[in-house]
Amino acid sequence: MSDTDGRIRLIILGGYLGSGKTTWLRHQLHDGHFQHALVIVNEAAETPIDDALLGGSDSLAVLAGGCVCCDAKQDLIDLLRRIADDRSRAASTDSSLDLIVLETSGLADPGAIIEAIRSDPVLVYHILVSEVIVAVDGLHGMSQLRSEPLSRHQIEVADKLIVTKTDAVEQNELLLLLATLKAMSPGAVMSGAVKGLSHPLPEFSNAIPETLQDFADQELKAPISPTRLYLDDSIDWTAFTVWLSALLYVRGNDIVRVKGVIRTPAGRLLLQTVRKIVQSPEILPEHRDTREDNIVVMIGRGFTHAQLTKSLRHFVSSSGL
Amino acid sequence: MCSACGFPAAPGHWTEAGAANAHERLRGRFRRAQVLQRVLPSYNLNVHETNDILGIQLSTLTGSHSIVSHLDDVWALAEKVNGTPVDPLDRRFIGEE
Repeated sequence: MSDTDGRIRLIILGGYLGSGKTTWLRHQLHDGHFQHALVIVNEAAETPIDDALLGGSDSLAVLAGGCVCCDAKQDLIDLLRRIADDRSRAASTDSSLDLIVLETSGLADPGAIIEAIRSDPVLVYHILVSEVIVAVDGLHGMSQLRSEPLSRHQIEVADKLIVTKTDAVEQNELLLLLATLKAMSPGAVMSGAVKGLSHPLPEFSNAIPETLQDFADQELKAPISPTRLYLDDSIDWTAFTVWLSALLYVRGNDIVRVKGVIRTPAGRLLLQTVRKIVQSPEILPEHRDTREDNIVVMIGRGFTHAQLTKSLRHFVSSSGL
Repeated sequence: MCSACGFPAAPGHWTEAGAANAHERLRGRFRRAQVLQRVLPSYNLNVHETNDILGIQLSTLTGSHSIVSHLDDVWALAEKVNGTPVDPLDRRFIGEE
Protein backbone atom coordinates (compact mmCIF):
# COMPACT_ATOMS: atom_id res chain seq x y z
CA MET A 1 0.00 0.00 0.00
CA SER A 2 1.37 3.39 -0.92
CA ASP A 3 1.76 6.23 1.51
CA THR A 4 -1.40 7.80 0.11
CA ASP A 5 -3.54 4.73 0.95
CA GLY A 6 -4.61 4.56 -2.65
CA ARG A 7 -6.07 8.03 -2.52
CA ILE A 8 -5.50 10.54 -5.29
CA ARG A 9 -2.92 13.11 -4.30
CA LEU A 10 -4.01 16.69 -4.76
CA ILE A 11 -1.52 19.51 -5.05
CA ILE A 12 -3.05 22.93 -4.52
CA LEU A 13 -1.28 25.73 -6.35
CA GLY A 14 -2.37 29.06 -4.90
CA GLY A 15 -1.15 32.61 -4.64
CA TYR A 16 -2.50 36.10 -4.97
CA LEU A 17 -3.80 37.62 -8.22
CA GLY A 18 -0.98 37.96 -10.71
CA SER A 19 1.58 36.22 -8.54
CA GLY A 20 2.69 33.93 -11.38
CA LYS A 21 0.84 30.66 -10.71
CA THR A 22 0.06 29.88 -14.34
CA THR A 23 3.50 30.91 -15.57
CA TRP A 24 5.13 28.60 -13.05
CA LEU A 25 2.80 25.70 -13.77
CA ARG A 26 3.24 26.16 -17.50
CA HIS A 27 7.00 25.69 -17.10
CA GLN A 28 6.60 22.73 -14.78
CA LEU A 29 4.42 21.01 -17.37
CA HIS A 30 6.82 21.94 -20.15
CA ASP A 31 9.68 20.42 -18.18
CA GLY A 32 7.77 17.18 -17.75
CA HIS A 33 6.70 17.56 -14.13
CA PHE A 34 3.23 16.47 -13.00
CA GLN A 35 3.11 13.96 -15.84
CA HIS A 36 -0.23 12.20 -16.17
CA ALA A 37 -1.71 14.59 -13.64
CA LEU A 38 -5.15 16.04 -14.15
CA VAL A 39 -4.80 19.81 -14.04
CA ILE A 40 -7.82 21.72 -12.74
CA VAL A 41 -7.78 25.46 -13.30
CA ASN A 42 -10.13 27.66 -11.34
CA GLU A 43 -10.78 31.24 -12.33
CA ALA A 44 -12.98 33.62 -10.40
CA ALA A 45 -14.12 35.29 -13.59
CA GLU A 46 -16.45 33.60 -16.04
CA THR A 47 -13.90 33.95 -18.81
CA PRO A 48 -11.13 31.42 -18.55
CA ILE A 49 -7.78 32.67 -19.89
CA ASP A 50 -5.24 30.51 -18.15
CA ASP A 51 -6.34 27.28 -19.79
CA ALA A 52 -5.17 28.66 -23.14
CA LEU A 53 -1.67 28.77 -21.68
CA LEU A 54 -1.61 25.30 -20.19
CA GLY A 55 -1.62 23.26 -23.37
CA GLY A 56 1.26 21.16 -21.98
CA SER A 57 -0.89 19.18 -19.61
CA ASP A 58 -2.21 15.69 -20.40
CA SER A 59 -5.69 16.57 -19.26
CA LEU A 60 -7.21 19.80 -18.15
CA ALA A 61 -10.46 20.79 -16.51
CA VAL A 62 -11.59 24.37 -16.08
CA LEU A 63 -13.80 25.66 -13.31
CA ALA A 64 -14.67 29.23 -14.26
CA GLY A 65 -17.20 31.68 -12.90
CA GLY A 66 -16.48 31.59 -9.21
CA CYS A 67 -13.75 31.00 -6.71
CA VAL A 68 -13.60 27.38 -5.51
CA CYS A 69 -12.91 28.36 -1.93
CA CYS A 70 -16.24 30.18 -1.65
CA ASP A 71 -18.82 30.77 -4.47
CA ALA A 72 -17.92 27.72 -6.51
CA LYS A 73 -16.89 25.42 -3.69
CA GLN A 74 -19.69 23.00 -4.50
CA ASP A 75 -18.60 22.87 -8.15
CA LEU A 76 -15.16 21.75 -7.05
CA ILE A 77 -16.57 19.15 -4.67
CA ASP A 78 -18.86 17.83 -7.42
CA LEU A 79 -16.00 17.66 -9.91
CA LEU A 80 -13.70 15.86 -7.47
CA ARG A 81 -16.47 13.43 -6.56
CA ARG A 82 -17.01 12.63 -10.24
CA ILE A 83 -13.28 12.10 -10.70
CA ALA A 84 -13.13 9.84 -7.64
CA ASP A 85 -16.17 7.94 -8.80
CA ASP A 86 -14.82 7.40 -12.32
CA ARG A 87 -11.53 6.22 -10.90
CA SER A 88 -13.20 3.76 -8.55
CA ARG A 89 -15.23 2.28 -11.40
CA ALA A 90 -12.14 1.92 -13.56
CA ALA A 91 -9.96 0.71 -10.71
CA SER A 92 -9.68 -2.86 -11.87
CA THR A 93 -8.53 -1.94 -15.35
CA ASP A 94 -6.99 1.49 -15.20
CA SER A 95 -6.10 3.50 -12.17
CA SER A 96 -3.47 5.66 -13.73
CA LEU A 97 -4.83 8.90 -12.30
CA ASP A 98 -3.03 9.39 -9.06
CA LEU A 99 -2.32 13.11 -9.08
CA ILE A 100 -4.43 16.22 -9.47
CA VAL A 101 -2.97 19.71 -9.63
CA LEU A 102 -5.50 22.38 -8.73
CA GLU A 103 -4.54 25.88 -9.75
CA THR A 104 -6.78 28.12 -7.68
CA SER A 105 -7.97 31.58 -8.57
CA GLY A 106 -5.93 34.41 -7.11
CA LEU A 107 -8.80 35.14 -4.75
CA ALA A 108 -8.83 31.69 -3.15
CA ASP A 109 -7.79 30.75 0.33
CA PRO A 110 -6.22 27.27 -0.01
CA GLY A 111 -7.07 26.62 3.62
CA ALA A 112 -10.77 26.80 2.83
CA ILE A 113 -10.33 24.28 -0.01
CA ILE A 114 -8.47 21.84 2.24
CA GLU A 115 -11.20 22.25 4.81
CA ALA A 116 -13.91 21.57 2.22
CA ILE A 117 -12.22 18.37 1.01
CA ARG A 118 -11.49 17.07 4.49
CA SER A 119 -15.00 17.67 5.66
CA ASP A 120 -16.63 15.99 2.67
CA PRO A 121 -17.69 12.49 3.70
CA VAL A 122 -16.86 11.01 0.29
CA LEU A 123 -13.77 12.90 -0.76
CA VAL A 124 -11.95 12.31 2.48
CA TYR A 125 -11.56 8.65 1.43
CA HIS A 126 -10.50 9.44 -2.11
CA ILE A 127 -8.41 12.58 -2.09
CA LEU A 128 -5.37 13.47 -0.07
CA VAL A 129 -4.14 17.04 -0.18
CA SER A 130 -0.45 16.31 -0.44
CA GLU A 131 1.03 19.74 -0.85
CA VAL A 132 0.07 23.41 -0.91
CA ILE A 133 2.32 25.45 -3.16
CA VAL A 134 1.84 29.21 -3.01
CA ALA A 135 3.32 31.67 -5.48
CA VAL A 136 4.28 35.02 -4.00
CA ASP A 137 4.75 38.08 -6.17
CA GLY A 138 8.30 39.30 -5.51
CA LEU A 139 7.42 42.76 -6.72
CA HIS A 140 4.05 43.33 -5.06
CA GLY A 141 4.13 40.68 -2.32
CA MET A 142 5.13 43.01 0.49
CA SER A 143 2.42 45.57 -0.24
CA GLN A 144 -0.14 42.75 -0.55
CA LEU A 145 0.87 41.43 2.87
CA ARG A 146 0.42 44.89 4.34
CA SER A 147 -2.99 45.53 2.82
CA GLU A 148 -4.73 42.25 1.92
CA PRO A 149 -5.72 39.75 4.62
CA LEU A 150 -6.16 37.07 1.95
CA SER A 151 -2.51 37.20 0.92
CA ARG A 152 -1.54 36.40 4.52
CA HIS A 153 -3.97 33.45 4.71
CA GLN A 154 -2.49 32.02 1.53
CA ILE A 155 1.06 32.13 2.87
CA GLU A 156 0.19 30.75 6.26
CA VAL A 157 -1.03 27.44 4.81
CA ALA A 158 1.79 26.94 2.31
CA ASP A 159 4.12 23.95 2.36
CA LYS A 160 6.16 25.48 -0.41
CA LEU A 161 6.53 29.16 -1.30
CA ILE A 162 7.69 30.18 -4.74
CA VAL A 163 8.80 33.78 -4.82
CA THR A 164 8.40 35.03 -8.39
CA LYS A 165 9.73 38.02 -10.34
CA THR A 166 12.82 38.12 -8.13
CA ASP A 167 14.77 39.77 -10.94
CA ALA A 168 12.45 42.78 -10.95
CA VAL A 169 12.75 43.75 -7.32
CA GLU A 170 15.50 45.57 -5.43
CA GLN A 171 17.67 43.41 -3.22
CA ASN A 172 16.67 45.09 0.06
CA GLU A 173 12.98 44.77 -0.69
CA LEU A 174 13.43 41.14 -1.66
CA LEU A 175 15.31 40.40 1.58
CA LEU A 176 12.54 42.07 3.59
CA LEU A 177 9.89 40.01 1.79
CA LEU A 178 11.79 36.73 2.23
CA ALA A 179 12.40 37.35 5.94
CA THR A 180 8.76 38.30 6.47
CA LEU A 181 7.55 35.19 4.63
CA LYS A 182 9.88 33.02 6.70
CA ALA A 183 8.55 34.55 9.91
CA MET A 184 4.95 33.96 8.81
CA SER A 185 5.42 30.44 7.55
CA PRO A 186 8.62 29.05 9.12
CA GLY A 187 8.03 25.49 7.92
CA ALA A 188 7.55 26.31 4.26
CA VAL A 189 10.27 25.50 1.77
CA MET A 190 11.12 28.61 -0.20
CA SER A 191 12.43 28.89 -3.72
CA GLY A 192 12.62 31.58 -6.37
CA ALA A 193 11.39 31.75 -9.94
CA VAL A 194 11.70 34.18 -12.82
CA LYS A 195 9.23 33.74 -15.68
CA GLY A 196 8.57 30.22 -14.48
CA LEU A 197 12.22 29.16 -14.37
CA SER A 198 13.91 28.33 -11.11
CA HIS A 199 16.02 31.20 -9.84
CA PRO A 200 18.21 31.14 -6.72
CA LEU A 201 17.12 33.23 -3.75
CA PRO A 202 19.68 35.42 -2.00
CA GLU A 203 20.86 34.56 1.50
CA PHE A 204 18.44 36.27 3.88
CA SER A 205 19.07 34.72 7.28
CA ASN A 206 20.29 38.08 8.61
CA ALA A 207 17.41 40.10 7.19
CA ILE A 208 14.87 41.45 9.65
CA PRO A 209 11.21 40.62 8.96
CA GLU A 210 8.57 43.33 8.98
CA THR A 211 6.06 43.23 11.81
CA LEU A 212 2.76 43.30 9.97
CA GLN A 213 -0.01 45.41 11.41
CA ASP A 214 -3.16 43.72 12.59
CA PHE A 215 -6.10 44.35 10.27
CA ALA A 216 -8.50 44.69 13.18
CA ASP A 217 -7.87 48.42 13.56
CA GLN A 218 -8.01 49.21 9.89
CA GLU A 219 -10.96 50.25 7.83
CA LEU A 220 -12.30 47.24 5.99
CA LYS A 221 -11.83 47.52 2.26
CA ALA A 222 -14.49 46.50 -0.22
CA PRO A 223 -14.02 42.94 -1.43
CA ILE A 224 -12.19 42.33 -4.69
CA SER A 225 -14.42 41.02 -7.44
CA PRO A 226 -14.17 40.27 -11.16
CA THR A 227 -15.94 42.23 -13.92
CA ARG A 228 -16.15 41.25 -17.58
CA LEU A 229 -15.95 43.84 -20.33
CA TYR A 230 -17.02 42.93 -23.85
CA LEU A 231 -15.08 44.83 -26.48
CA ASP A 232 -17.26 45.13 -29.55
CA ASP A 233 -16.01 46.07 -33.01
CA SER A 234 -16.26 49.79 -32.29
CA ILE A 235 -13.50 49.53 -29.69
CA ASP A 236 -10.07 49.56 -31.28
CA TRP A 237 -6.86 48.53 -29.57
CA THR A 238 -5.43 52.07 -29.56
CA ALA A 239 -8.43 53.67 -27.86
CA PHE A 240 -8.66 50.77 -25.41
CA THR A 241 -5.01 51.07 -24.40
CA VAL A 242 -5.23 54.85 -23.95
CA TRP A 243 -8.16 54.23 -21.62
CA LEU A 244 -6.58 51.33 -19.77
CA SER A 245 -3.23 53.06 -19.30
CA ALA A 246 -5.00 56.06 -17.74
CA LEU A 247 -7.07 53.79 -15.53
CA LEU A 248 -4.04 51.84 -14.32
CA TYR A 249 -2.06 55.03 -13.75
CA VAL A 250 -4.62 56.38 -11.32
CA ARG A 251 -6.25 53.21 -9.99
CA GLY A 252 -3.57 50.55 -10.42
CA ASN A 253 -3.69 49.66 -6.74
CA ASP A 254 -7.40 48.91 -6.90
CA ILE A 255 -7.45 47.25 -10.31
CA VAL A 256 -5.41 44.33 -9.13
CA ARG A 257 -5.51 42.23 -12.28
CA VAL A 258 -6.57 42.58 -15.91
CA LYS A 259 -6.62 39.60 -18.26
CA GLY A 260 -7.99 39.10 -21.71
CA VAL A 261 -7.42 38.09 -25.31
CA ILE A 262 -7.97 40.94 -27.77
CA ARG A 263 -8.09 40.70 -31.54
CA THR A 264 -5.92 43.29 -33.29
CA PRO A 265 -4.43 43.70 -36.77
CA ALA A 266 -1.23 42.25 -35.24
CA GLY A 267 -3.03 39.08 -34.17
CA ARG A 268 -4.67 37.79 -31.00
CA LEU A 269 -2.96 39.52 -28.12
CA LEU A 270 -2.94 38.18 -24.59
CA LEU A 271 -3.12 41.20 -22.31
CA GLN A 272 -2.18 40.77 -18.66
CA THR A 273 -1.59 43.31 -15.93
CA VAL A 274 -0.76 43.11 -12.25
CA ARG A 275 -1.55 46.41 -10.57
CA LYS A 276 0.31 49.06 -12.59
CA ILE A 277 2.60 46.61 -14.36
CA VAL A 278 1.56 45.55 -17.86
CA GLN A 279 3.22 42.50 -19.33
CA SER A 280 4.27 42.75 -22.99
CA PRO A 281 1.25 41.29 -24.78
CA GLU A 282 1.86 37.79 -26.09
CA ILE A 283 0.77 36.95 -29.61
CA LEU A 284 -1.41 33.84 -29.39
CA PRO A 285 -1.86 31.39 -32.24
CA GLU A 286 -4.93 31.83 -34.43
CA HIS A 287 -6.28 28.33 -34.55
CA ARG A 288 -7.49 28.04 -30.97
CA ASP A 289 -11.03 28.50 -29.77
CA THR A 290 -11.88 32.17 -30.23
CA ARG A 291 -15.19 32.35 -28.38
CA GLU A 292 -13.60 34.16 -25.48
CA ASP A 293 -11.79 36.73 -27.62
CA ASN A 294 -12.41 40.43 -27.03
CA ILE A 295 -13.52 39.87 -23.46
CA VAL A 296 -11.43 41.51 -20.79
CA VAL A 297 -11.66 40.50 -17.15
CA MET A 298 -10.90 43.22 -14.64
CA ILE A 299 -10.45 42.13 -11.04
CA GLY A 300 -10.41 44.72 -8.31
CA ARG A 301 -12.46 47.07 -6.19
CA GLY A 302 -13.89 50.57 -6.35
CA PHE A 303 -15.63 50.38 -9.72
CA THR A 304 -18.77 48.99 -11.30
CA HIS A 305 -19.32 47.41 -14.67
CA ALA A 306 -21.51 50.35 -15.72
CA GLN A 307 -18.85 52.90 -14.82
CA LEU A 308 -16.17 51.06 -16.75
CA THR A 309 -18.37 50.68 -19.80
CA LYS A 310 -19.47 54.33 -19.86
CA SER A 311 -15.94 55.55 -19.36
CA LEU A 312 -14.50 53.33 -22.08
CA ARG A 313 -17.30 54.40 -24.41
CA HIS A 314 -16.41 58.05 -23.80
CA PHE A 315 -12.76 57.47 -24.66
CA VAL A 316 -13.56 55.50 -27.79
CA SER A 317 -16.38 57.60 -29.15
CA SER A 318 -14.23 60.06 -31.05
CA SER A 319 -14.88 59.31 -34.70
CA GLY A 320 -12.54 56.84 -36.37
CA LEU A 321 -9.95 57.83 -38.93
CA MET B 1 7.82 34.77 -21.77
CA CYS B 2 10.45 32.19 -22.58
CA SER B 3 10.72 30.86 -26.10
CA ALA B 4 10.61 27.24 -24.93
CA CYS B 5 6.99 27.12 -23.93
CA GLY B 6 5.58 30.62 -24.39
CA PHE B 7 4.20 32.58 -27.25
CA PRO B 8 6.19 35.51 -28.65
CA ALA B 9 5.76 38.85 -26.94
CA ALA B 10 4.89 41.86 -29.06
CA PRO B 11 7.83 44.29 -29.25
CA GLY B 12 7.76 47.92 -28.10
CA HIS B 13 5.54 49.62 -25.54
CA TRP B 14 2.53 47.46 -24.73
CA THR B 15 0.08 50.06 -26.02
CA GLU B 16 1.63 49.76 -29.49
CA ALA B 17 1.30 45.98 -29.69
CA GLY B 18 -1.82 46.12 -31.87
CA ALA B 19 0.00 47.30 -34.99
CA ALA B 20 1.54 44.74 -37.33
CA ASN B 21 3.34 47.11 -39.70
CA ALA B 22 4.55 50.69 -40.14
CA HIS B 23 1.31 51.81 -41.73
CA GLU B 24 -0.76 50.58 -38.82
CA ARG B 25 1.68 52.09 -36.32
CA LEU B 26 1.27 55.48 -38.01
CA ARG B 27 -2.49 55.10 -38.06
CA GLY B 28 -2.33 54.16 -34.37
CA ARG B 29 -0.39 57.33 -33.56
CA PHE B 30 -3.05 59.55 -35.10
CA ARG B 31 -5.82 57.57 -33.46
CA ARG B 32 -4.03 57.87 -30.11
CA ALA B 33 -3.81 61.66 -30.54
CA GLN B 34 -7.51 61.76 -31.41
CA VAL B 35 -8.52 59.83 -28.28
CA LEU B 36 -6.20 61.89 -26.07
CA GLN B 37 -7.58 65.12 -27.50
CA ARG B 38 -11.02 64.00 -26.39
CA VAL B 39 -9.81 63.56 -22.83
CA LEU B 40 -6.98 65.97 -22.09
CA PRO B 41 -8.43 69.45 -22.81
CA SER B 42 -10.56 69.17 -19.69
CA TYR B 43 -7.26 68.63 -17.87
CA ASN B 44 -5.72 71.77 -19.44
CA LEU B 45 -3.59 69.96 -21.98
CA ASN B 46 -3.67 69.68 -25.77
CA VAL B 47 -2.17 67.00 -27.98
CA HIS B 48 -0.46 67.37 -31.34
CA GLU B 49 0.51 64.69 -33.79
CA THR B 50 2.67 65.71 -36.72
CA ASN B 51 4.30 62.43 -37.66
CA ASP B 52 7.77 64.03 -37.80
CA ILE B 53 8.39 63.72 -34.06
CA LEU B 54 8.52 60.30 -32.42
CA GLY B 55 7.05 61.18 -29.03
CA ILE B 56 3.64 62.45 -27.98
CA GLN B 57 3.52 66.25 -28.17
CA LEU B 58 1.61 68.04 -25.45
CA SER B 59 1.05 71.70 -24.71
CA THR B 60 -0.46 73.46 -21.72
CA LEU B 61 -2.89 76.35 -21.90
CA THR B 62 -0.06 78.70 -20.95
CA GLY B 63 1.85 77.61 -24.03
CA SER B 64 4.55 75.38 -22.62
CA HIS B 65 5.34 72.37 -24.78
CA SER B 66 6.51 68.89 -23.85
CA ILE B 67 7.32 65.76 -25.80
CA VAL B 68 6.91 62.52 -23.89
CA SER B 69 7.71 59.02 -25.05
CA HIS B 70 4.64 57.04 -24.02
CA LEU B 71 1.23 57.19 -22.43
CA ASP B 72 2.37 56.67 -18.85
CA ASP B 73 4.34 59.92 -19.19
CA VAL B 74 1.22 61.67 -20.53
CA TRP B 75 -0.72 60.79 -17.39
CA ALA B 76 2.20 61.77 -15.17
CA LEU B 77 2.41 65.17 -16.90
CA ALA B 78 -1.34 65.70 -16.61
CA GLU B 79 -1.12 65.00 -12.91
CA LYS B 80 1.76 67.46 -12.55
CA VAL B 81 -0.06 70.22 -14.45
CA ASN B 82 -3.37 69.77 -12.64
CA GLY B 83 -2.29 68.52 -9.26
CA THR B 84 -4.70 65.63 -9.75
CA PRO B 85 -4.45 62.67 -12.10
CA VAL B 86 -6.73 61.96 -15.07
CA ASP B 87 -9.30 59.52 -13.72
CA PRO B 88 -11.32 57.71 -16.39
CA LEU B 89 -13.97 57.04 -13.75
CA ASP B 90 -14.32 60.75 -12.99
CA ARG B 91 -17.87 61.96 -13.38
CA ARG B 92 -16.97 64.07 -16.42
CA PHE B 93 -16.43 60.79 -18.30
CA ILE B 94 -19.21 58.65 -16.91
CA GLY B 95 -21.89 61.32 -16.56
CA GLU B 96 -22.84 60.59 -12.96
CA GLU B 97 -24.00 63.22 -10.56
